Amino acid sequence: MEMNFNQHISGQFNADLEAIRNHMMGMGGLVERQVSNAIEAICSGDSRIADDVIRREDEVDKMEVNIDHECTQILVRRQPAASDLRMVLAVSRVVRDLERIGDEASKIAIHTMEVSDNSSNQLCQQAMRYMGAEVVKMISGALDAFARHDVEGAVDVVRNDKLVDQQYASALRELITYMMEDPRSIGQAINILWILRAIERIGDHARNISEQVIYLVKGTDVRHSSLTEIEEQAQAAAPEKDNG
Amino acid sequence: MTKSSMTTREKVEKSMKRRRAAEQRFRMYGVASVLFGLLCLVVLFGDILSKGTSAFSQTVIETSITLDADYLGLDKNADDQQVRLANFEGLIKQHFKDMVQPDGRKERRQLYSLVSAGASWQLQNMVLNDRSLLGQTIEVALIADDDVDQWFKHDRGHAHNAMLNETQIGWLEQWAEQGILKTRFNTLFFVNGDSREPELAGIRGAITGTFLTLLVTFLLSFPIGVAAAIYLEEFAPKNKITEFVEININNLAAVPSITFGLLGLAIFINIFGVARSTPLVGGLVLTLMTLPTIIISGRAAIKAVPPSIREAALGLGASRVQVVFHHVLPLALPGMLTGTIIGMAQALGETAPLLMIGMVAFVVDVPAFISDPSTVLPVQIFLWSDSPERAFTERTSGAIIVLLGFLVIMNTAAVMLRRRLERRW
Amino acid sequence: MSIIENHTTNGQPFCKDPKLTARGVGVFYGEKQAIFDVSLDIGANEVIALIGPSGCGKSTFLRCLNRMNDTIDICRVTGAIELDGEDIYDPKVDVVPLRARVGMVFQKPNPFPKSIYDNIAYGPRIHGLAQSRVELDEIVEKSLQRAGLWNEVKDRLHAPGTGLSGGQQQRLCIARTIAVDPEVILMDEPCSALDPIATAKIEELIDELRENYTIAIVTHSMQQAARVSQRTAYFHLGQLIEVNPTDQVFTTPEHALTEAYITGRFG
Repeated sequence: MEMNFNQHISGQFNADLEAIRNHMMGMGGLVERQVSNAIEAICSGDSRIADDVIRREDEVDKMEVNIDHECTQILVRRQPAASDLRMVLAVSRVVRDLERIGDEASKIAIHTMEVSDNSSNQLCQQAMRYMGAEVVKMISGALDAFARHDVEGAVDVVRNDKLVDQQYASALRELITYMMEDPRSIGQAINILWILRAIERIGDHARNISEQVIYLVKGTDVRHSSLTEIEEQAQAAAPEKDNG
Repeated sequence: MTKSSMTTREKVEKSMKRRRAAEQRFRMYGVASVLFGLLCLVVLFGDILSKGTSAFSQTVIETSITLDADYLGLDKNADDQQVRLANFEGLIKQHFKDMVQPDGRKERRQLYSLVSAGASWQLQNMVLNDRSLLGQTIEVALIADDDVDQWFKHDRGHAHNAMLNETQIGWLEQWAEQGILKTRFNTLFFVNGDSREPELAGIRGAITGTFLTLLVTFLLSFPIGVAAAIYLEEFAPKNKITEFVEININNLAAVPSITFGLLGLAIFINIFGVARSTPLVGGLVLTLMTLPTIIISGRAAIKAVPPSIREAALGLGASRVQVVFHHVLPLALPGMLTGTIIGMAQALGETAPLLMIGMVAFVVDVPAFISDPSTVLPVQIFLWSDSPERAFTERTSGAIIVLLGFLVIMNTAAVMLRRRLERRW
Repeated sequence: MSIIENHTTNGQPFCKDPKLTARGVGVFYGEKQAIFDVSLDIGANEVIALIGPSGCGKSTFLRCLNRMNDTIDICRVTGAIELDGEDIYDPKVDVVPLRARVGMVFQKPNPFPKSIYDNIAYGPRIHGLAQSRVELDEIVEKSLQRAGLWNEVKDRLHAPGTGLSGGQQQRLCIARTIAVDPEVILMDEPCSALDPIATAKIEELIDELRENYTIAIVTHSMQQAARVSQRTAYFHLGQLIEVNPTDQVFTTPEHALTEAYITGRFG
């Protein structure tokens, strides 16, 4: 007799787990769009898009609360263990990161409106555009890795975060140079700085999400570890998933 | 489904009527069976009681008789031997001759036959106990003959009695009117052994014999039965041999009891030379018969002890013997005792095997020990039921009442014992 | 599903300071094999939980540890089980002192139909642990105190033990086991007949007992295993699939079967 280990005895349990995962993915989709819209808003200076991003921030917050509630319900009702427990914990943490990403996106949108008032926003355009595209890719990469239990994909995201951090550092240097050259630009530069900072934070959160993927799949907590450590953990033998 | 118009609820309602009727019917059968059983019991008890209660009273002739020392040839210093040889019978005959003045030898003989042969024993015993009665006129209640007893208790005034003629009935009527003839409680029935004379026959010999026989049975079967039950249930390995033993014990319980009698005759009497007709051999035979009952009920009682108790004791490091004697046996004992008492009650009523080992003999003396010849109650009943005298019929029923009384007492004891001991857990 | 061929237990079945060691233990009921090649250490002063679906052999294995299986005629045990390095299945070993060293608490509370006092005193009496009445009184009091029952029953020591509530009865049984001062206590689903509050009390008690005793507990409640034990062993169809520290088993089990069982995918 071959048993199907993918199914719980309790069908409702399956459905509940499925639901938090889907809701998280839905929230992820929304947050990803928020971020790409915010980036779009900076690049195009379109305040309507920025406005839209700020308005939808509420939606993201509500989703976080709802999904968190669902996770609590599962913990209370099912006392999940092992992979189920990790799934619930990971979803709960990922949702938190997604909400923060949402916050950062709305921050970007707010600053965009201030920058666009100033009209001359060509400072660091290149860096912002490039980093923005990168973090949007990271978010979707992290969510994909989560959906597919793909450790490799998750490690890629962590690697990309390293790149974003480097770009952030060089953009920062660029900004400092501007400010030293022309103290009048300091006000605008600070705005740009905030935006860059927000994008960099989004990258960090995307990295957090991919760390949860590793936790979900491998059971090891790689938060606050270096990239090399994470790569090692990802290589380590995964819990046996096929029985002999 | 073509007829889906009917809802489930309606279908259930519809079937309820049939189900209720079935239930009602079944209850009626049950009540009828119980009533039938009760009726049988009532008829049985009614019959026995109506026939048997009169056995507990005895007709006596109250008269004052002078113990004429000269006629008896005794004086105050006469020894027991002399008293036993003295002619009390003649004295009684003389007394009645003086009283009624019979006409001729035939009438005299008819007169004498109204008094029991036991009357002279009565007087003799009185004198044996107290020599000072000699020469005195004393009030005695002389035992009447069984025919007189029957006439006075049953036939007087409304039935013909074939054993007595007109003259005799005339005298008796006269005595009855004078108040000489009366009934009193029949002590002799309980203190005498068996006798050819119904008015003198008693059940003491049979009761003592029964008691001794059951004592032997109990002393042998209880320890053996309990030991066998414990061994089979707790210690014996479960294999072909124990299975075989088990089956045979169960078979033994179903063997007709007369077979045990034959076995007893062949083995105990013919091979081992145990004296026949004794409580000892009776007890041995009844032991064979009750053992299976005790073993089976004992095993059931042991099985009923929850295994968790055994495990608990074993888990604490008790040895198997300790488990049995500290835990299993105390808990199983009420059940074992109940089984034993029921087995003993069975043995109490058993006749067939005892017939085979000679306990059917006519034994007058009350047995004093297990090696004295004796009889038992059910055999006594069997013997009396065979006797032609009318008075024995009522004594048969009387003895049955006593036997039933013992059975009821034993069964009640079993129930009470179980209740009392079971309350502890 | 069937027996896994050439299975070796995942995780850490052995430990540094073992009290009981089982090596290659197999159990047969007549022709039928109930346990296959189980090797497991039970460390001193640890609580090890044996979990697994019904009929997986965890209770059978537990009962091997104090030779309770001896009472079943057709039961045969192979392999070696050592208590402090002594083979308990050595023909020279007497089960009576062994069971005094390795006590057992059963699924259903099973106090003797005697007084509370006599329940506790029974073990010390048969093993001659007390020289005097005073000493026996002390043992009874100490055992009841350790089992957390003393305050509840001290005024009615001579009332029947069967008159206590289910949870109290089970603690009485634990006290009775402690009274003979065992080194190892085996518990066979000790809380399965109890309500949650009584269960919590027993679990608390197990935690306290760990200081002085080595405890192996069979349980159907995975939460209970997670709460009371330091190591957890997962049995499946008579095989020991995985042994690991409890927190690891319940977050990241190594073997897929363990995972499937503890997440409620079968069992």
